[in-house]
Amino acid sequence: MKIKYLGAASALALTLSTTSALAECGEVSITEMDWASASVVTSIANFLMTEGYGCDVTVVPTTTVPAITSVAETGEPDIITELWTSYTEVYEELRAEGKLVEMSKVLSDGGVEAWWIPDYLAEEYPELTTLEGIKANPELVGGRFQDCPTGWGCDVTNFNNFKAAGLGEAGIERFQHGSGETLAAAIAAAYEAREPWFGYYWAPTSVLGKYPMVEVKLPPYNAEAHICNGLEDCPTPTLSSYPAANVVTAVTSSFVDREPEVAELLKNMTFTNAQMGEVLAWQEGNNASNEEAAVYFLSTYPEVWGDWLNDEAKTNLAALLK
Amino acid sequence: MAFYDGLFNALGLRDWCDQDATAAPMSMADLLKANRADAIDPKAEIFPFPSLDELNRACGQIGQTRDFTSGIENSFLAARSGLKAVLDPLTQPLSWALDGALYVFETTPWWIIVPLLVFFAWFVSRSFWVTVFVAASFLFLGAIDHLNVALQTLSIIFVCTGLSVLFGVPIGIAMSKSDRLQRALVPILDLLQTLPTFVYLIPLIFLFSVTESKLYGIAIILYAIVPVIRLTDLGIRLVDKDVLEAADAYGMNASQRLKKVELPLALPNIMAGVNQTIMMSLAMVVIASLVSAPGLGVLVLRGIRNLELGVGIVAGIGIVLLAVVLDRTSKAALSRVDKTNTKH
Repeated sequence: MKIKYLGAASALALTLSTTSALAECGEVSITEMDWASASVVTSIANFLMTEGYGCDVTVVPTTTVPAITSVAETGEPDIITELWTSYTEVYEELRAEGKLVEMSKVLSDGGVEAWWIPDYLAEEYPELTTLEGIKANPELVGGRFQDCPTGWGCDVTNFNNFKAAGLGEAGIERFQHGSGETLAAAIAAAYEAREPWFGYYWAPTSVLGKYPMVEVKLPPYNAEAHICNGLEDCPTPTLSSYPAANVVTAVTSSFVDREPEVAELLKNMTFTNAQMGEVLAWQEGNNASNEEAAVYFLSTYPEVWGDWLNDEAKTNLAALLK
Repeated sequence: MAFYDGLFNALGLRDWCDQDATAAPMSMADLLKANRADAIDPKAEIFPFPSLDELNRACGQIGQTRDFTSGIENSFLAARSGLKAVLDPLTQPLSWALDGALYVFETTPWWIIVPLLVFFAWFVSRSFWVTVFVAASFLFLGAIDHLNVALQTLSIIFVCTGLSVLFGVPIGIAMSKSDRLQRALVPILDLLQTLPTFVYLIPLIFLFSVTESKLYGIAIILYAIVPVIRLTDLGIRLVDKDVLEAADAYGMNASQRLKKVELPLALPNIMAGVNQTIMMSLAMVVIASLVSAPGLGVLVLRGIRNLELGVGIVAGIGIVLLAVVLDRTSKAALSRVDKTNTKH
């Protein structure tokens, strides 16, 4: 009992001494979305804010729609990161109302949404990387287009593109998964058995990090066609690639006033797809947790995140930046 | 310096530990330490539990927990082709039954299928009010354009409950005849009812293609078969010992005794089990939609995902309506076959 008490007391003393050495920063809440790259981004931000800026960070595990609904209704949490804006119509509204302020494109190249086939299939039958090749040989891709679940934004867009491409007439059945988990599991199962697979997915994700896929070429992005494809009753579906998805960090406007220094950090915090892909591939290769992937990034690329910090934070993290 | 270093040194295992050891990836605690020597690890304990991860820190030869989990994954993947070769053809009839029932329910025009179902409800229940209620429910679902999805759901439930009864009743009878079998099966039944469905659904995707309808069929049957097994077992065990003695005195053999005495007397309990099985397969409809089952569950999921409250609530009401229809009809049928209540 005595030992425990002593330990607790010294721990308290240590905490007090360390926090007082850091800059003034209050309580900060940040979302942690339920996919790998988002969790890595949150862990990195958490580390930099806690250790560099002395914030008291609360991590809120959530997903896109609940997070943005919560911000709209209650103004909490302070920071939403890895927000794929194309699937949250309210985002632009909240920005216009001034409730949310966009800090940065956290994935600077943007997210990639596309139709894919596994790389072993593309190697064996290079013609399958074009729609014409797939339409000519539907049996080589298993006769199925594996689509995202009902209720996802991609559902309607994919269906219109599917109609425009005439895949149905070519003998390809559109199969809608019931959930994102089964879509990912279908990719993994096809890969383990080296079976044909053809469908929709997005990057950067740990699924595409672990199971390399080749993009099926669609005509380039056409803004007008893409908007129409997003409507359930689009009169003239036209083939169009997805635009690079906007993936951002956004904060509430009150947060910018309260913690301008941290807001500055979030403005600087961006990752290229190559960087994020490398981290996620390392994570898959080492069976590592999301937090360990964040630590891998922090310990391997100090020159990248060193530039994000202000001078005081640089002093606080000097030992790692060397 | 890990807590258990001393232990391995004392055992003289240090050399063994350090040869081609694999270290864990750097943890957050290590990183904090690298930044400030006085940083305290919030997770650090005075006397840590000797878990695999903790021991690995002291001795690199001991695997980490992640090696343990990836070992399970790899052994599953290794056993996969063998399991697939056995289970795939064995469960194929389930896919045919589900697809066939779906085809029949979807392609039959409403003016044939709805009267048929209403007549079926009257045939099993012989109750005027139940029949009227069933008819009204279908008309309501049709009026709000939910008849097709509701019929899809119904077709899945018919197939899954039918198969559950087909397999569940014999298993229940076998269980009631053998105490040893009962002791062996009860934990499995408990497991089926409590194991979160996704835990066995995701491995199933590796065995069968996700595009096969048997995937959700298996998910529903594994969950819904439990009550009919349990209550068949219970019903037969509850049959009065005096009655059985009388049956023996009349010189009945085992199969006569089962067919003429035990099953008729256990029927109320078995029917209660069937009723529960129907209800539980309906409860699985939404979860089955996560693995691509068609029907009302898809609409509920869409409602949840897009916060389209109306869509979710209407589909939810549809499920409740189906539940009440099935419950009333099977309850009415139950009271009709309940011989123990008939007046002599």
